[in-house]
Amino acid sequence: MAVTDLPEFIRADGPDKVTGSGRYTADMTLTGQLVAKFKYGGVSHGRITRLDVTAARAIPGVFAVLTAADVPDVRYSYGLADRTLFATDIIRFEGEIVAAVAAINADIAQQALDAIELDIEMLEPVVDLEAAIADGAPLVHENIDSYEVTGDTPHSGNVATHSSISMGDAEAAMTNAATVVTSRYLADASHATPIEPRAVIAQWEGDKVTVWTSTQVPFDARAGVCETLELPTSKVRIIAPHLGGGFGGKCGAHFEPHIAALARVAKRPVKLVFSRWEEFIAPDRRREAMIIDVTTGVDADGHIVARTGEILLDNGAYMADSSFFAQAAAMHVAGPYVIPNVHIDAKLIYTNHQPSGSVRAPTAPQGCWAVESHTDEIAKAIGMDALEFRRKNIVTSASTGCVGQTYDEIGLDQCLELATTSAGWGTELPEGEALGISVGWWPSFAAPAGAYAKLHGDGTVQVITGASECGTGSVMTLRMLAADEIGIDETAIELIYQDTGAAPAGPGSSGSQTLFNHGRAVEKASQMVADQLRELAAAQLEANAGDIVLENGAASVAGSPAISIPIVELAAASETGELLGSAAADAIEWPEITGSTCLGEQGFSSWLAPQFSCHVARVRVDADTGVTRVLEVHAVHDSGTILNPVAAHGQVEGGVMMGVGQALTEGTRYDERGHQLNAGLLEYKLQTIADAPTITTQFVEIFTNNAGPRGAKGLAEAPNVATCGAVNNAIANATGVRVRQLPMTAERVWTAMNNPEAST
Amino acid sequence: MTMTIANSLDDVLSGLANGARPIAGGTDLVVGSRQGKGALPDHLIAIDRVHELATIDVGDAGTRIGSGVTHATLMTNPTVVDSFTAIADAAALVGSPATRNVGTIGGNVMNGSPAMDTGAPLVVLNARAELRTLESTRLVHLDELWVGPGRTSAQKNELCTALVIPQQPESSGSAYVRLEYRRTMEIAIVGAAAAITLDDGIIRSAHVALTAVAPTILTVEGLAPLIGKPVDETTLATVAELASEQAAPISDLRASERYRRQMIGVMASRAVDAAARRAGGETLSVPVNRALGVGAQS
Ligand SMILES: Cc1cc2nc3c(=O)[nH]c(=O)nc-3n(C[C@H](O)[C@H](O)[C@H](O)COP(=O)(O)OP(=O)(O)OC[C@H]3O[C@@H](n4cnc5c(N)ncnc54)[C@H](O)[C@@H]3O)c2cc1C
Repeated sequence: MAVTDLPEFIRADGPDKVTGSGRYTADMTLTGQLVAKFKYGGVSHGRITRLDVTAARAIPGVFAVLTAADVPDVRYSYGLADRTLFATDIIRFEGEIVAAVAAINADIAQQALDAIELDIEMLEPVVDLEAAIADGAPLVHENIDSYEVTGDTPHSGNVATHSSISMGDAEAAMTNAATVVTSRYLADASHATPIEPRAVIAQWEGDKVTVWTSTQVPFDARAGVCETLELPTSKVRIIAPHLGGGFGGKCGAHFEPHIAALARVAKRPVKLVFSRWEEFIAPDRRREAMIIDVTTGVDADGHIVARTGEILLDNGAYMADSSFFAQAAAMHVAGPYVIPNVHIDAKLIYTNHQPSGSVRAPTAPQGCWAVESHTDEIAKAIGMDALEFRRKNIVTSASTGCVGQTYDEIGLDQCLELATTSAGWGTELPEGEALGISVGWWPSFAAPAGAYAKLHGDGTVQVITGASECGTGSVMTLRMLAADEIGIDETAIELIYQDTGAAPAGPGSSGSQTLFNHGRAVEKASQMVADQLRELAAAQLEANAGDIVLENGAASVAGSPAISIPIVELAAASETGELLGSAAADAIEWPEITGSTCLGEQGFSSWLAPQFSCHVARVRVDADTGVTRVLEVHAVHDSGTILNPVAAHGQVEGGVMMGVGQALTEGTRYDERGHQLNAGLLEYKLQTIADAPTITTQFVEIFTNNAGPRGAKGLAEAPNVATCGAVNNAIANATGVRVRQLPMTAERVWTAMNNPEAST
Repeated sequence: MTMTIANSLDDVLSGLANGARPIAGGTDLVVGSRQGKGALPDHLIAIDRVHELATIDVGDAGTRIGSGVTHATLMTNPTVVDSFTAIADAAALVGSPATRNVGTIGGNVMNGSPAMDTGAPLVVLNARAELRTLESTRLVHLDELWVGPGRTSAQKNELCTALVIPQQPESSGSAYVRLEYRRTMEIAIVGAAAAITLDDGIIRSAHVALTAVAPTILTVEGLAPLIGKPVDETTLATVAELASEQAAPISDLRASERYRRQMIGVMASRAVDAAARRAGGETLSVPVNRALGVGAQS
């Protein structure tokens, strides 16, 4: 069966989720289960002068109260080991956990929290990115030099890590440029906001703990529990029931160690379910605020000759998985353009805000928004059409991009043409309406992943994978791959997933890796089963195994479909009544680069199987109020081969909607002491289905070397990259003014229209 | 805590006399308590099954809209849509379909939020609240009912049984518009209702009231100069100016004081424009926010 003929079919978890028969972590109840609650620091920067839990422990019905004193003294985090499970001496953000309680019910757990005696000496909070790196700024981490460092994480003072891209001589080229344009953009922090709140249940049996948790990456959650509680891998099992979304925010280990520790002391199962307020303030993964300064020089023909940039990213109080963010942000501010001379510096800065971490295409929506707005500003400055300017400057097949990576066959130029044609670029629109273009890119990530495949005697198959299903469709696509390899119907394939006790390790649902990495492993494990079937069939059909075709549930010799053996018979006839395959995805070679990322290299200075996109947004701006509505988004993506069109369209539509939210309404507001002001869904405004624009999606399918299965690249994050930029350019085209802060709220649009100077 | 489900008006009034608090849709009371606005009362009496509270009756003294009428009914009921269109405009904007299916006009009015959407329409239509106890019934003007954010002058044992609205003169129209950042699950940032009566294209009477710009719904004063004028750019500018001047908005997460003040002018003039067009016989579909592309446009 040709790849493009793969049928569309319904996601296996769909009926469960739609009818309510599916169980999420918060739906589970274990016998004797206790309720967990956390005591938060409540201030963004302070020193604990007294912490006494004696009274809390004495309350009847309280089974455990834990502080830093009750867990191993382990400092952890990726890049810089800068944190502990519980605050030890310093509280560094309002949602930092000081203590955890487990009690018979929620009321008593609350009483226990209230009975904890906590005195805090207030310290000056670090809340401003520029002030944070000024001389004499208070330090978020006084003892940073004593922290263990992994990888290339150059840090000093409040700079958690620093990355730069350098190619050619940007300064000299800028001096010789015909036109130079400088822009500054500010992006507010935002949240992943999955509708399912984080929930964790831990239960010990002897010295083994099972943790049910709403994680996107069960193996990272396991690693977190093992590291912080000093447990061997074999003693910890993580199971994720159905996931109600994650959007990156549920990557990594979160609260699994705290709940496992509570359950061990309480000697009972313990369950945590976050409130919506906790969802906003406590998780260590939100989308970082940024200040982006970018300057570009173009020659007389409108070719970009140089770009310099400085990016400050708000890391918040701790490293989550943010150590590569500086590098990713620099790539986005360089953008998918041919620029011979580049110098971009990006600093990830500690503040007393909630930690930043993975949220769908981390750093990209803000970086792309800034640089695509800037791109339109350049085009305007030289009097060139925004489409024409991009045609002249974007990377195409065989061209060399900002870090000196020369691309294979890529489809950005096609994305640009298709999206602008689809939107009708250049046609007259009603008053108040306009189109805006934005191009974006995002890498694919190669990581180790394994898979098992089992063909049972009854002809059904189990595929056991470390992949997770947070909405991206792995429950469909991984089954399609296995079905295609083994030659049986997808419905005969059962996926076992989200259980570290069953599957080989893998990156779960993070970094658009499900198909890219788990898919390659599933394909290979399924091929091993298929190879055995071919051998068995070859013996019976007296042919070469290489000539056996597995199709429609039967094996036959190529060219003679009339004589065939049902696969179920072959499986049953095998020695053990089962055919087994187990495989790991092969390592992939990363492309070379000739420019330099001199500092802070976090493992992907070149971009493997890069994905490209162009979004064109059509907006209508109510000039009297600044209220902007996105009417249409035309999204065209080069994500390589599209194996599952249903899932692919779903990803693009979801990514665009998330982008519209970030563009218009989603932004965290802080007070001057670092407290979130809109930590709830009333004031943190997501888009609703009634706000959804008409989304027209197309794919440019180009076979890509070094890609995932059958030439597929990733796709879950890419659709979230370009929308904000397209919306801003459309607003600028509709109003004649440029909004320089994300989200581009009605008031900010109105302010820009009425008082351009006052709009930052 | 107890919760009693009332089957009749008498059940409710007796319950209130014994200190219970009425709960209609619960979309303010229960959601507010979950958000930490205050514990639920010790004794609740559910009034949503009392059918006599859920009727709309047209009589000589005007139209009586039962306090238990839901927003979903208000936005589609022909009497409301034809004669008191501003109320339908407002009801159609409330929350989401789920909120509108259970949320009631009585709950909206008695909750007393300055951001309540049916408040300004009721004010410009000169509605009065019917308050009943076991012993008495009285009609109260809304500007006397609302005394502050979340506070009414009703006694604890008084049930709001209906909103009573006088018959509007010939050639009248009303409209409610609000500023909103998204199209559902929104709360009024600012809003304005207008009721206009025309005489051959000339304004004979004009009432404007404002949402979310003061501790309670604010009636715009000084509209007399509009009487006898056509609805044109000058009159609309006057309305905008008066509304902006009289508003006492705050700065909060939803908007700055400055923006709110400007926007209330825009909303007030749009409400007057839409009300006048309806008074002139034009059909503007409900909610007028969508029909005119106001706020989060269609
Ligand atoms: C998601 C969501 C969105 C919302 N959006 C909007 C919106 O857009 N616009 C808006 O205006 N509101 C909105 N609201 C608020 C609320 O839905 C409305 O105010 C609704 O009309 C309240 O009616 P209810 O029947 O649910 O009141 P309840 O919650 O039952 O009662 C509210 C208060 O009024 C009292 N009460 C109720 N009925 C009577 C009565 N007959 N006599 C005396 N006292 C009474 C109760 O004791 C309580 O104090 C929203 C609420 C939610 C949850």
